[in-house]
Amino acid sequence: MATRSIAAYELKLAVPLAGFFVLFFIAPLLILFYVSLQTDTGTSLAQYARFLLDPFSLGVLGRTLWLGVEVTALCLLLGFPLAWAYVRGPRWLQPVLILVVLLPLLTSVVVRTFAWIVILGRQGIVNSALVSLGLIDTPLRLLYTEGGVIVALAQVQMPLMVLPLITALSRIDPNMDDASAALGAGAWRGFWRITVPLSLPGIIAGCMLTYAAAITAFITQSLVGGGQMLFMPMYIYQQATALQNWPFAAAISIVFLAAVLAVVSVFNALGRLSRAHA
Amino acid sequence: MPTRRTLMTSALALGAMHLFPRLGAAQARLLVFATFTGSWEEAHKDVLVPAFRKATGADMVLDPMLSVDQIAKVKASLSNPPIDVMLHDPGPALVAIDQGLVEPYPVAESKHYADLITEAQIPTGPAPFFQVVGLTYNPDRVKTPPTSWADLWKPEYKGRVGITNLNSTLGTGFLVEIARMHGGSEANVDAGFQAIKALKPNIAAVAANPGQLATLYQQGQVEIGPGNFNAIQILKARGVPVEFVSPKEGAIAFKTTIHIVKNSPNKELAFKLIEAALSPEVQAKLMGSPYLIVPTNSKVKMTGEVAKVLASSVEDLKKKFVFQDWTTINKQRASWIERFNREIA
Repeated sequence: MATRSIAAYELKLAVPLAGFFVLFFIAPLLILFYVSLQTDTGTSLAQYARFLLDPFSLGVLGRTLWLGVEVTALCLLLGFPLAWAYVRGPRWLQPVLILVVLLPLLTSVVVRTFAWIVILGRQGIVNSALVSLGLIDTPLRLLYTEGGVIVALAQVQMPLMVLPLITALSRIDPNMDDASAALGAGAWRGFWRITVPLSLPGIIAGCMLTYAAAITAFITQSLVGGGQMLFMPMYIYQQATALQNWPFAAAISIVFLAAVLAVVSVFNALGRLSRAHA
Repeated sequence: MPTRRTLMTSALALGAMHLFPRLGAAQARLLVFATFTGSWEEAHKDVLVPAFRKATGADMVLDPMLSVDQIAKVKASLSNPPIDVMLHDPGPALVAIDQGLVEPYPVAESKHYADLITEAQIPTGPAPFFQVVGLTYNPDRVKTPPTSWADLWKPEYKGRVGITNLNSTLGTGFLVEIARMHGGSEANVDAGFQAIKALKPNIAAVAANPGQLATLYQQGQVEIGPGNFNAIQILKARGVPVEFVSPKEGAIAFKTTIHIVKNSPNKELAFKLIEAALSPEVQAKLMGSPYLIVPTNSKVKMTGEVAKVLASSVEDLKKKFVFQDWTTINKQRASWIERFNREIA
């Protein structure tokens, strides 16, 4: 009698989840693709041609992908020191920091975004402070600017960056630092040659999560960006609901999905490269 | 004796019935009316639903959602729609009619249809109320009340005007009105686009939707702009410093229409609900404070805030309200939104 493989048993356990995904993810995705092929006259790729040959639409796609890059960079820049402080800081600081990191996750995105409207508004905290300090005469325009959207998104998505970074950094043996110092490396050299390469899996995971969340963040993009700034999620919404043009909206969604998958696979390739390196 | 297997099967069956209640025999469901969210829901819950219960003895459900969501839901299951009565702004109403989602209103059987103001008599679904768009301003910051749409272009309002984009009925109606003011029409809004471009230095915000525009008055981000009469009343009631005036060119009036959904299993009750919504008793109550909903039944005498700010009688209303041709607007709306994306954004 053949011994029962443990792996086979585990696969069977995954069947309910797989069924769930097929029913509620793969099937809708196929329907979405089918809808995107519809035109007034029949079935064709005309909706895709309309998007891909239109400089304006491509501009919206480009701006959205670039927005993700800017938000991810800012999150990494601000999140890395935070994660570092958590891992290497004094013991009493850790619960405080983890609370600070997790707190945004405990409130709804809508609430967090509204807080940013209050902060960035014409009579918001930033402008009132600057005016009362006498630094400016008329309020600055902060809300409804790309800078405002980036800052708000970075705060809203920060936990997605910091949590993987903390996991990666706390796996690094602190003796490594001492070893590199003992071998004559300065603080910067030790950081770039030891800490960064070893935390790379965390950096890549954090960047991937932040990026995907930032470019699809419909609520924050539309509330802080306003009706003048058009990103992909709002473009899809506009075509699907305001105009009831489902085929074109579906085509935009598929193009967006493909673009995001392309970016994510670049991250993945970087991840494999880093593992090979480490 | 039940085995583990039979227990499991019954548990699964129970679970499935819980998830998909319609699996059982085709049970009759209550009448579902998809009203709008916010103040409309409140007004309908307080006045219309009790009136319906009294008239029919039947119960009903309010399921508030945006027009576009109503269309999506009905379209997704046309043979067995989850909604019996829809409420629509003029643009979405035409979409719903074009896509064959509505039943014509049984005008001959209606007691109240003939009493409606002519503009509200629409055989695909009558208008139980009008929505009115005029000028909104913050009286603490704007000392002389505006009197004309043209006031928005005054240099003193640099960086203080709020508008919405064309996703909303409000934004689209505003564009058409501005085009008309500069010699254009529903068929040709070029002048409107030119005017909005010229307005750019004054624009503090292009809100993503009318709800967001209202909150911007609350935060002092904007101080003047086009606004919906009913949305402004809600802000005022909360103590936000806002006022509404009808511009001298006339306030823009939208016919909000109510429709029986095609293939509704509750057609008779749906008709009775709409009759209640058209009745002078319900409309008079809805015109009172705090709802201030503009009536369409000519038997309702205009009183209170509506009479003071908007129109004192049906004749006055016809003189002061501007109705737009949404059939023409809807044909071009997609290209306008595209153009707004490109030229204003």
